[in-house]
Amino acid sequence: MQNRTKKGAVEKVLTGIRGLDEALDGGVPKGRSTLITGGTGTGKTVILNEFLYQGITQFKENGVYVAFEESKKDIIKNVKGFGWNYASFIAQKKLAFVDAGALRGMTFESGQNYDLIPLIERMNYALKKVKAKRLVIDGLDNLFSRFRNKDAVRQALYQITAELKDLGVTVLMTEEKLGSDNGLSRYGVEEFVADGVVEIELVKGQQQFLRRMFAVKFRGTGFRSGIIEFEINDQGLLVYPKIPVENVVAKTDFKVRKSFGIKGLDDMLGGGIPQGHMVLVSGNTGTGKTMFGMQFLKQGMRDGENAVFVALEEPVEQVKKTALAHGWDFNRDEKEGKVNFVTTNLLDISNDKLLYQVISAVERIQAKRVVVDSISTLLSATMSEEQVRQFLLQLSRYFKAKGVTCIMNCLSSASFGAARGQLLSSLSTNEMRLSSITDGIIMLLFVERGQKIKKLLTVLKMRGSQHSKEIFSYEIEKGGIKMGDKYEE
Amino acid sequence: MPVKYVLKLYVTGATPRSQAALKNIKKILDVDFKGIYSLRVIDVIKNPKLAEDDKILATPTLIKILPPPVARIIGDLLDREKVLLGLDLVAMG
Repeated sequence: MQNRTKKGAVEKVLTGIRGLDEALDGGVPKGRSTLITGGTGTGKTVILNEFLYQGITQFKENGVYVAFEESKKDIIKNVKGFGWNYASFIAQKKLAFVDAGALRGMTFESGQNYDLIPLIERMNYALKKVKAKRLVIDGLDNLFSRFRNKDAVRQALYQITAELKDLGVTVLMTEEKLGSDNGLSRYGVEEFVADGVVEIELVKGQQQFLRRMFAVKFRGTGFRSGIIEFEINDQGLLVYPKIPVENVVAKTDFKVRKSFGIKGLDDMLGGGIPQGHMVLVSGNTGTGKTMFGMQFLKQGMRDGENAVFVALEEPVEQVKKTALAHGWDFNRDEKEGKVNFVTTNLLDISNDKLLYQVISAVERIQAKRVVVDSISTLLSATMSEEQVRQFLLQLSRYFKAKGVTCIMNCLSSASFGAARGQLLSSLSTNEMRLSSITDGIIMLLFVERGQKIKKLLTVLKMRGSQHSKEIFSYEIEKGGIKMGDKYEE
Repeated sequence: MPVKYVLKLYVTGATPRSQAALKNIKKILDVDFKGIYSLRVIDVIKNPKLAEDDKILATPTLIKILPPPVARIIGDLLDREKVLLGLDLVAMG
């Protein structure tokens, strides 16, 4: 009885592709076929190639490549770019091709009385030759367009998938999706022979194209829903799976406080930020947001807690240089494995990728403190506010589960020259929208009083705990923030 | 007379479809190309490697190797005109 859900459940096989197995909740259905559909240039073929390559190199599972799209020669040449030597795999009988690309010379049909048994026989021949456990078919649509007798093609496909299922061979196949296609596939058979369907697409960003995939269906198995971003680099595929949000046990603790090491500020906060909380530090340019973050991390390291700095505002080297000027040697801390820096290109930030980077950086050194500098850069460099919200939501769930305390800097406009009694009017809408994610807000302000600019700080919100409601002045000095007197008009 | 036309016919076992194609092509060849053609019949089930080398996907497939260019025709080869045209075979006389 207790095995009810497990019984008959489809076993999965790891593809070995970074991130994809997590996104598909353990890989692709073993001994079954998975269809990858998408437009031209979306990266379908790269997925097939890496599935084979990882099979051979990581799992000692040999493969067969059924190539309808390109010739064997071209494919061997193409994957050399990833540093993969198919020629040697072929020589070692680890990889075999069914070379079925476009033919030279004319092909005519005399009647439609034919079958595709040679294709099946060639496939079986290749499978036997290398004792394959994996097989890929590139360009199913090509097979359909080449023969007038669609029934013959359908029949062959049914037979092939049935045979492969019997042999326990796991199959990935691709089909080109045209812009005008409504359904999943064009010839009304692919979905029936495939137990899983993954759709991939290219989306235009501000400066470059972003690659996304989503699992459309997986018969009898689970997968993570939602859009997953991925990249193709010189080593193959890099998929950024979403973090599962279920089974998260919060490790927040109001009794454990994370101090800044800034006298006065820590007192205002009742000792520091509660463990596992996400606190927004908001202020105009020049208010020292980055400085507060640095000191927060530095104090963590003094307390034996490792740290991660997410540098989106300025280059990592610049951050380190500024820190050094105050006597904080982040380079040394980095070498000693106490701090990790995360950075990314600032146009078309992929939130999934950044999430993956931040989490890897945290996991690598079991960091307990994180600074994101800043949310405003994220907002201006990402396509939508909604994506940033999603990113922060996922980050916050993860941090809470791990008991990681986080400071998010946010550039707040119009906080200069606030008039009497208007000190708090400058909280921008961005910050308001983020308020459900943030456990606390520390606000930094400039005011002009008596021909002088004063820097002021107040704790606006601190979820579930007492905090000072006063406004204090502060100064940025060499060596860090120095809190001043209570501010009174 | 020297052999002028070199052809291969790929079939699958001894199915009626294969037999029909063989019978049909022989009829065409024996009428118009008697003595100047060679026809090799290959069973893909026994010779998958040859099918791989010639990139055969369907049976029956008739390939004209010589004279160039290489041309293929798939199906039962019943339509004589189509076979001659498709393979660019010029009937004698």
